[in-house]
Amino acid sequence: MEPIAYSVPTSAEQAVSELMSEAGACYVAGGTSLFDLMKLRVERPSRLIDITRIGYDAISTSGSELRIGANATMSNVAENPTIARDYPILTEALLKGASQQLRNMATVGANLLQRTRCSYFRHGAGAIASAGSIYPCNKREPGSGCAAIGGLDRTQAVLGVSGACTAVSPGDWPVALTALDARINIFGPNGRRDLPVSGLYRLPGNTPHLEFDLKRGELITEIIIPKTASGLHSTYHKVRDRESYAFALASAAVALELNGWKIEHAHVALGGVATRPWRAPETEQFLIGKTIRRETALEAARLAFVNAQPGRHNGFKVELGIRTLADALMIASERTRTV
Amino acid sequence: MSIEKLPDRERIDAFDKVRGATRYAADFQSPGMLHAVLVPSPIAKGTVVRINETDALAVPGVLRLLTSKDFPEPDPDFEAPTGEDDEDEEEGFSAPSTVVDVIAYRGQPIAVVIAETLEAAIEGAEKVTGEYEEEPFSVVMESPGARREPIDEEITSGNAAEAFGRASVVVDETYVSPTQHHNPLELLGAMAVFEDGRLTIYDTTQHTMGVKNAIAASLWIDPARIDVKSTSIGGGFGQKAHAYGYSVIAAHAAILTGRPVRIVIPRGHIFHIASYRPKSVHHVRLGADSSGRMIAVRYVAEHENSLAGGLSPAEYHEGTPRLYDIANYHGGGIQVRLDRPDAGFMRCPFPHQACFAFESAVDELAHKLGMDPVALRLQNDGQIDPMSGKPYSSRFVTECITEGARRFGWSQRSRAPGSMTAPDGTQIGWGMALGNYPSSMSPAIATLRITANGKTRIAISGHEMGQGIKTTIANVLLDGLDIDPMGLEVVVGDTSAAPQHQTAGSWGTAGCVPATFKAVTHMQAALRELLDGRSVPGSIHRQLATIRRPYLQVEVSEVAPGQAPEALEYLRVSGDATAGPEYPDFTSMSWIAHFVEVRVEPTTRRIRMPRCVSIVDCGRVISPRTARSQVHGGVVWAFSAALREATEIDPRYGGYLNSDLAEYLVAVNADIGEIEVGFVDKPDPLANSTGLKNLGEVVMAGASAAIANAIFHATGTRLRSMPFRIEDLL
Ligand SMILES: Cc1cc2nc3c(=O)[nH]c(=O)nc-3n(C[C@H](O)[C@H](O)[C@H](O)COP(=O)(O)OP(=O)(O)OC[C@H]3O[C@@H](n4cnc5c(N)ncnc54)[C@H](O)[C@@H]3O)c2cc1C
Repeated sequence: MEPIAYSVPTSAEQAVSELMSEAGACYVAGGTSLFDLMKLRVERPSRLIDITRIGYDAISTSGSELRIGANATMSNVAENPTIARDYPILTEALLKGASQQLRNMATVGANLLQRTRCSYFRHGAGAIASAGSIYPCNKREPGSGCAAIGGLDRTQAVLGVSGACTAVSPGDWPVALTALDARINIFGPNGRRDLPVSGLYRLPGNTPHLEFDLKRGELITEIIIPKTASGLHSTYHKVRDRESYAFALASAAVALELNGWKIEHAHVALGGVATRPWRAPETEQFLIGKTIRRETALEAARLAFVNAQPGRHNGFKVELGIRTLADALMIASERTRTV
Repeated sequence: MSIEKLPDRERIDAFDKVRGATRYAADFQSPGMLHAVLVPSPIAKGTVVRINETDALAVPGVLRLLTSKDFPEPDPDFEAPTGEDDEDEEEGFSAPSTVVDVIAYRGQPIAVVIAETLEAAIEGAEKVTGEYEEEPFSVVMESPGARREPIDEEITSGNAAEAFGRASVVVDETYVSPTQHHNPLELLGAMAVFEDGRLTIYDTTQHTMGVKNAIAASLWIDPARIDVKSTSIGGGFGQKAHAYGYSVIAAHAAILTGRPVRIVIPRGHIFHIASYRPKSVHHVRLGADSSGRMIAVRYVAEHENSLAGGLSPAEYHEGTPRLYDIANYHGGGIQVRLDRPDAGFMRCPFPHQACFAFESAVDELAHKLGMDPVALRLQNDGQIDPMSGKPYSSRFVTECITEGARRFGWSQRSRAPGSMTAPDGTQIGWGMALGNYPSSMSPAIATLRITANGKTRIAISGHEMGQGIKTTIANVLLDGLDIDPMGLEVVVGDTSAAPQHQTAGSWGTAGCVPATFKAVTHMQAALRELLDGRSVPGSIHRQLATIRRPYLQVEVSEVAPGQAPEALEYLRVSGDATAGPEYPDFTSMSWIAHFVEVRVEPTTRRIRMPRCVSIVDCGRVISPRTARSQVHGGVVWAFSAALREATEIDPRYGGYLNSDLAEYLVAVNADIGEIEVGFVDKPDPLANSTGLKNLGEVVMAGASAAIANAIFHATGTRLRSMPFRIEDLL
């Protein structure tokens, strides 16, 4: 039997040093993403370093920034009343993801690192759990090709795609964080550094197997969100194939800074349609100084999809993405009137 | 016959289930138990040239690897006659394929690895490599190599071609239902023990006799030395209605190793080797005269299947010709032969798809005629089966429709599509449709024993898939006999306890409740005889104790109307001796009417179903609690089939892509609105001694059409291809 070692360090320093001393080692937090991928043979670690006892699970809302420990569970963060009141965009992004059981286990740090749901990626590594299927996938097996391009691509991305990969970045939470200009704090073999969440994600280009700008051994320890009044006028709107427990077909994270009825600044990011959490600067720019009405919202939303490149079965994601974003803008602006 | 209403009793297995105490097949363990894992074929079609075993056998803990060479050819002389055999030509017993070297579809087992632990077995299985001669393959109906094979029989009454000449309004459309997989929570699996020359297998199956015979034929064992136990199934839905090769493999492995062997098929592999609801395409031509009388139907149904699979498209015509009193019907079918596993039964196997197509067409007809869909249907009701000319044993379709319409508030509906839009732009639609399903029956043999020390045990045919068959049996016993409910044991799904029918096609209750009623009557008579006029107070247990009898036992059997006593023999040897829906003097069907409200979001066009009213005619309701739950489940699944579920097959590889519960989307709680259930609850005077008809399948029939019809009413867009997805209305 392929043995797997398991250790439970009690400090970040210890976790990092354990990881650096074994080539096949990897961190595990809630395990909801990693264990699936292990059964599917996409991931084959030789050692699991359980980081849930190293701390970094506190939630602080008192200073000038929100600081959320990477090891806080999705459900704990979703239950935080201050965040729910002042940043519905964050709470909604968490509550519309996965299921209650998964959220009880999953951490908000690891959530940023979940891998794509592309079926060819997940079910093509030859695992018995996938009936031994082997599909080409440049992300899993660099240079092997992409089965999704020219295949069953209904759920694939339309933005940020390349000739090597069209896999969607699946998370909801990273989209909301991207919209709010959040940063992560990273602790690694070379000490600490900060990185904007948007800087964590790479476009697939010709190297879709390189997904995150994290160096080996680096641990995400904290998520830092600058406080902003736009949190009050925000939403995470998610459209999926069923009412709960499904990944987004299209989603939009919107937060608006308003002066009376006018938008002073808009935070807009998209999920479900792109290869990484997708900031929409054209939309943000367009909205400045506008008063939101449905036609304006649609016009703004269209700008985000100008460069969309649909495949065979996912063309609808362009129109759906536009309408989802337009709805999100309306919901966020409606919230304006109630506060 | 007693025709009182039966009480609403809670499920007798609920307490165990909520505590997690119920044991399913793969929960059974035995000392020294080994684990078997199947090695799936990585190619979609071809021949195994060589299997490289070395790496697999080198995995610590792996004991053996079996390939096709390790399995005997099934016994060609094995026989297990069924009730149908004496009508048609004698068909030999066909054993399921086990481990092959000629690969018919991707994922078919080419080897099995047996190991001390599950982990070692999985790792061993993943280390098996092979060399293959690959052949071109066709896996979807649209594949150029798909072979279209029209069925021999044509199902006709009257003269449809001529009648179309008289029709003033004709609908001619094509409707599609996708490939779907069952996905019960409990995976396919078994645990086999071979001891003292006897094989016992704990399996998850709706057909223990089928498993017994499959093992007997495949491994050349006397069936008398095999016991199959499937006492609690974590969902069957037809996936488990027939024997699979894995059961034979577990048995063979147990015999070869001399140790108990457990096998569990992972969900991703189940998608590849289990049966499925085949994709089907329905061409419906329906004609009516100007008064709205339906006079002619031409309906050809095609579906996908394996190269030799027996599931016949002729069966789409068991329900549709009987929905209405239509004199001229012409039905045909086409098998589309593909390099896939056998298509099979999945809840409401044929009428679900057929009623979706046909009842959508009827709605289209109503629209063309400018008639109310309810009025059109009421006008075409009839009491005689147009296919056989026989009367129906009972048919309360008009009652189902009128009661449903009343409860739903149908009279408030404004007819024009799109005319019920809410101020916020939400499009509201009301649709309805009918469904029917054959009411079949199986013979049964039951042994009922009541003891002086407070116990009651009934051993009878049937399998508990969660539908509530044990509760139904208990309800009859507890209603008719003064016995202690806490001491009641209902034994089903065990070939060592009683002959077992295949529990499918909705005949489960009809296959055990009439015998249970009979057992009650016989028990009452036996007790009367025993007491001989003495008045002894207390429960039956007390009475027996008082007169110093340790126990009292009766054995009864029951056959379907018109069935000869030989039916009991078929039941004993094959578990397959059903009768119906056509009986000598009548045709027996169950009926349902569904009324649905949908709401379509104005912007992103999500479709929601806030409410549904479903009224059923299933004869007498034997167990109100579990009957209601069947209707809920049927409507939920129809919703799921219409709006969620589709298996994705990549024609380039031949595999099933979305082969897990995260990617194969079934309806979730948040999808489901209010479902109101009503029963006509009138005992059927002819179908059997207890007045019941079938329920578990009919509940789903027609509900998908009601949803499609409601969507049309809401939006003016007619959706003819399930599942209806967000992009269909964008
Ligand atoms: C069926 C299902 C449905 C789901 N639906 C959704 C959904 O709708 N929306 C959504 O957003 N998500 C969804 N998810 C994903 C879920 O949110 C993630 O699985 C979860 O957030 C991962 O957290 P975890 O703690 O369990 O991660 P783990 O599985 O423990 O880890 C995931 C990865 O992150 C690495 N890692 C963990 N912690 C750190 C750290 N602090 N620093 C560096 N690396 C780390 C691990 O090494 C591993 O590679 C779903 C998951 C499942 C299984």
